[in-house]
Amino acid sequence: MSIEVRGLNKNFGDFVALDDVDVTIPTGQLTALLGPSGGGKSTLLRIIAGLEKADTGSVSIEGVEATHLPAQKRNVGFVFQHYAVFKHMTVAKNVAFGLEIRKRPKDEIEHRVRELLELVHLSQFAHRLPSQLSGGQRQRMALARALAVEPSVLLLDEPFGALDAKVRKELRDWLRRLHDDVHVTTVFVTHDQEEALEVADEIVVINEGRVEQVGTPDQLYDEPANDFVMSFLGEVTHLGGLALRPHDIELESSPSLAGSVEGTISRLVRIGFEVRLTVLTVDGEEVSVVVTRAHARAQRLEEGRTVWLTPAPGAAVVPRMAAAV
Amino acid sequence: MIWFSALVLIPLMAVVVTAVEGGWDVFWATITNGQTSAAIRLTVLTALGVTAVNVVMGPLIAWVLVRDRFWGKSVLEVMIDIPFALPTIVAGLVLLSLYGNDSPVGVDIANERPAVFLAFLFVTLPFVVRMVQPVLEELDRDVEEAAASLGASRITTFRRIILPSLAPAIAAGAALSFARGVSEYGSLVLLSGNLPFKTEVTSVRILSSIENDNVPAAAAVATVLLAISLAVIVLLDLIQRRVAARG
Repeated sequence: MSIEVRGLNKNFGDFVALDDVDVTIPTGQLTALLGPSGGGKSTLLRIIAGLEKADTGSVSIEGVEATHLPAQKRNVGFVFQHYAVFKHMTVAKNVAFGLEIRKRPKDEIEHRVRELLELVHLSQFAHRLPSQLSGGQRQRMALARALAVEPSVLLLDEPFGALDAKVRKELRDWLRRLHDDVHVTTVFVTHDQEEALEVADEIVVINEGRVEQVGTPDQLYDEPANDFVMSFLGEVTHLGGLALRPHDIELESSPSLAGSVEGTISRLVRIGFEVRLTVLTVDGEEVSVVVTRAHARAQRLEEGRTVWLTPAPGAAVVPRMAAAV
Repeated sequence: MIWFSALVLIPLMAVVVTAVEGGWDVFWATITNGQTSAAIRLTVLTALGVTAVNVVMGPLIAWVLVRDRFWGKSVLEVMIDIPFALPTIVAGLVLLSLYGNDSPVGVDIANERPAVFLAFLFVTLPFVVRMVQPVLEELDRDVEEAAASLGASRITTFRRIILPSLAPAIAAGAALSFARGVSEYGSLVLLSGNLPFKTEVTSVRILSSIENDNVPAAAAVATVLLAISLAVIVLLDLIQRRVAARG
């Protein structure tokens, strides 16, 4: 196991950033720390990097006890949301920085920098200053700089947070491919569930300083541990005391299934290939349902129609909690 | 732009023209005159010394003001600007009553060379501090953390990351503080005693030349100062570029 975090606590004044957190991050994988803003995920990452000190608890990296090691000695690569470029150095100098600190021979540094710039597709920009690069290019440079020192783990703090949607998506795919090539244990922080689901091998969901669930994207989506995880990873609606996804509700025009709930369609919106319905049940619940267009047409659904709802077999459901969002 | 350039250049040209009007021999005789050259030497060397002190102390004070939290910080913030706001003759009076013949702190440097140094230091202290402070405030903590995670010690981070970012501001502050030192009059005129060959500075020398109706001599000294100041500014810029490009 590459990173072991045990009993981590961190307060900023009265604010509890981390509350007794235990996490194990496996070697060689791409792990996402996912959660809403202010939930403690960046603090956790910074404590792993040694940029922040935990109040109590321990961190070990690759079997080495690192709790009291300064950031300089942890051999982690860190990528910041706002790139943290060395403005007065060229792209090549930025990438070479960690190697120069380690007093590597000149030709080795040169060779490694060339290799890394090729890896992040910035070879032709080697002699530019960071200010002459776009945001996406700067972040790729920052990544090359972090990888240059061959870190045992690579930590990325909202790496695509400052980029526009299109570049974000490109970089996300690119990071996934890069990780498949380089295989360094990587942890990245994000509040974007789509990003986490698409890129990560494993996701750690963090909310209000606590770990809510750890699992693969499929596990998290199909078997959410609680209402929070379920609602954070996608759309949620409630039917008869259960939380479930709107597309996991079966809708019929006659009460043929046991346990179905009767209701009236109060709203019907067609968005592309799907049809979104709001059904007002006899119990007074407003339930969102998503069906395909073909299904809606076959059943001749329209506002005011009476329908019967049942959770689809095999649907991910969790009991509704008071704290439901 | 041209108009504004003219605004600066015309008086400068006028001084140079006046200085050379009397011919090269007069010019040379004026500045090699023992009393005058002693004044020039004293002024330039003291200004250089004071600038050197400011280059070291200025960033340090700015660092403390930006990065540290302590009781009385806002008072210190205001105090730094006092030499700016104070009329220089008032500063001179303050220095005289503090370090004069009947000094309450027991330091009597009236009519001594340290008086010149002290007066220069007093009026030039804010320049580097105030130039460096905003740059230091703008500096991203991220960048220092990035350097640390790449294995750089605090000293290496300062030398290779922070210092190059501050270099232009330090150089600009140093140029201002040197120029101010060379031109200083009010703050030192009372405490230094203006003794020829000892504590007389160029601004006093220029004034006495004018009082004796010797305008070409005054212009000659002024021209020399102009040349020295220009050289110092160019030199500082060169140093600044080297430091900023290091890293």
